[in-house]
Formats: sequence, C-alpha cells, structure tokens
Amino acid sequence: MAEAGKRVLVVDDAALVRLYYRGALESHGYVVEEALNGLEALEKISGAAFDLLVVDVNMPQMDGLTFVAKLRSLALPVAATPVLITSTESGPQDFAAARVAGANFYVTKPVTPEQLVALAAMLCGIAA
Amino acid sequence: MSFSEPKRYYVERRIAERMTATGALSFASYFARLRTDVDGEVEHFVNAFTVNETYFYREDHQLRCLTTNLLAERLAVKGPSAAIRIWSVPCSTGEEPYSIAIWLLENWPLVDRHEIEIVASDIDTAALERAREGLFGKRALMRLPTEIVASYFTPEGPDAWRILADLRDSVRFTQVNIVKPEETRPNGRFDVVFCRNVLIYFDDTSRRIAAENLYENLEPGGFICLGHTESMSRISPLFEVQRFADAIVYRRPPGEPHG
Repeated sequence: MAEAGKRVLVVDDAALVRLYYRGALESHGYVVEEALNGLEALEKISGAAFDLLVVDVNMPQMDGLTFVAKLRSLALPVAATPVLITSTESGPQDFAAARVAGANFYVTKPVTPEQLVALAAMLCGIAA
Repeated sequence: MSFSEPKRYYVERRIAERMTATGALSFASYFARLRTDVDGEVEHFVNAFTVNETYFYREDHQLRCLTTNLLAERLAVKGPSAAIRIWSVPCSTGEEPYSIAIWLLENWPLVDRHEIEIVASDIDTAALERAREGLFGKRALMRLPTEIVASYFTPEGPDAWRILADLRDSVRFTQVNIVKPEETRPNGRFDVVFCRNVLIYFDDTSRRIAAENLYENLEPGGFICLGHTESMSRISPLFEVQRFADAIVYRRPPGEPHG
C-alpha cells in the first residue's frame, strides 16, 4: 500500500471520534497518532513530522482553526503540513474561516471511513 | 437493598461466602463484624450481593435497536446536531457500556457527528474499579467477532485483553444505588437507559422505587431497555411500551410534566 507508513495526527476532543478515524486510517496502512485539542496537537507536531493533520474545529483549550493558524506561522517544513478540517458546521462562513486559517480541505461530519481514506490519500499526495 | 423470598438461597449463599472470607464461625459473629464495619465489611457485603457475570454484546438485539430506531427517534425530537446521553446502570465490570461504545463505532454512521456521553454506574465499587481498568478474560469476549477484539483490545498475557484507552475515555463511571434518588438524580437525564437484569433481584417496593428513579433520569420521550425476561408493565405504570423490529423497549411519555 502506498499509504504504508504515512503519518496522520487526528485532533479531536471526543475519544470515540478519534478511535473511529484512527480505525479507518490504520486499516489502510496509515500510522495514526492522536491529540485532544489544538494545544496538544502543537506539542505533537513539534516532536515528530506528520504527513497529514485531521483537525476538528470545536475543541476546548485551543480550537481547530486557532491551531491551524498557529501551525502556518511556524517554520518550514512543519508549517506546510496538509490539514483536513472535520466539522459539524457547514455554513459558508465556516468554510471561509477555515480557508483563512490555512486549511487545505474541509469536510462536514459525519465523515464515512471511505471518505476519510480517500481524502487522506489525496492530501498525502497518493494517487487514488 | 431488599430481596424477595425466592431469592433466599441466593442471599444465604452470599452471606456464607462473606462468613468464610472473614473467618466468622457463626452468623452472630459475622453480623457483629458487619454492624461495626470491621475492615470495611459493609462494602464487601454489598459487593458480594451484586452479580458480576456478563459479557460483551450480550442481548445485542437491543444494541441493534439502539442504532436502528432509538437514536433516530431521539434526534428527530432533539434536532440534527444534538448531544446524545446514554446510561448503563448497573454497568457491573464494564462489558455493557463498552459494548455500547463499540457498537456505535461499528454500526452508527453518525458516530462522529454527535457528542455522545456514555455514563456507566454501579453500586459495587470493586466492579467499577475493574470496569475502569478495562481488562477482560476470554469469557467476557466470547460473543465478539475476532476482528472486533483485534480492533478494540490489546492482548495482555495468555487469557487477558485490555480495552483501548480511547474506549475507556469515552465512558464515565459513577457509583449509584438505583433505589436512592439522591444518588441517581445527579447523573442527569438520558436519551436511552440500559437497566438490564437488576430489577429482577429486587422486591416489589424497591423495584417500584427504582422504576420511579429511572423515570426521573429519562428525558421525556427517552427510552429504557430492560433484560429480556423483565417487563416494566408489571413494575410501574409510568412507562409506555414500544415495539421495534429488534426489541421491546419502554419509553417515558413525551411532553409529560416533570413528575
């Protein structure tokens, strides 16, 4: 699998959601780590490089969009890590805010395992 | 806690077990120990009376009913972005609440869209401690397909599996005696309550009090699932019976004033 070894960080405050996305990604060969919120995600990306960040919006302590904006202000190459936003919100202003923060792609929950895997492949630069 | 006459044997057996465990030579000496709560005997006594034999995906037809009917009914009332609260009481050593979490991950396509709170309560502190540890033997896992075990557990020794930390984090455990409203009320109101195979051990009075407490812990229109041999209609007139394809469940009538 081309996905083998690609590293994904799933950032979501709900343990069930982290497990759901992790299950989908791991079954396709991705290596998955988790963070509970933006703050923990910042710590994780300072310690190791990731090929993709899957980021929820509404989280305590540091929300997803604040995290993405901070990520983009860091030094390269970490600042260039692709970001997939997953959110329950689907208004035009939500898409716009994610774009301004620096997200690469935005998907509205519920996300199926198939969708998540397809988007991860796209954002990791793997030919479908 | 009170027990009816047919449960006499069960009561005698548990007392005999505690007498053996404490080295009491007569009931009188054991009773003295219990009354003065030597070495926390009251808690050991309560723990001995709670039944902790269960397994994952027990009565899974009710879990199927949860994801096929009950959650959809609740969301139709509460709105498409509502949080969902589920209560497993009594939860024993955790098989039921963890089964609910796994079932939702495997069978509910909206699992990432809704905030899901699973609260698991029991009177037995030793059972709750084991539930939090999340270490299970072969018997508890016997009904789970091997791929489910592989996905959600890590083997720990020849006959022990540890449930994943994310599953442990998705269940909140509390100690509750369901006949005590001051212990049940703080858990708040739920959309779905699983209360299986405990009311059968109570006498009529305790059973009715427990049913009234459970009613108070349900949202109007919320559902309660009992064990398959139990019938709420025989216990309390507060609930409506609801027949779905996979299970018969009971419901707190919607729109009723807070009783």
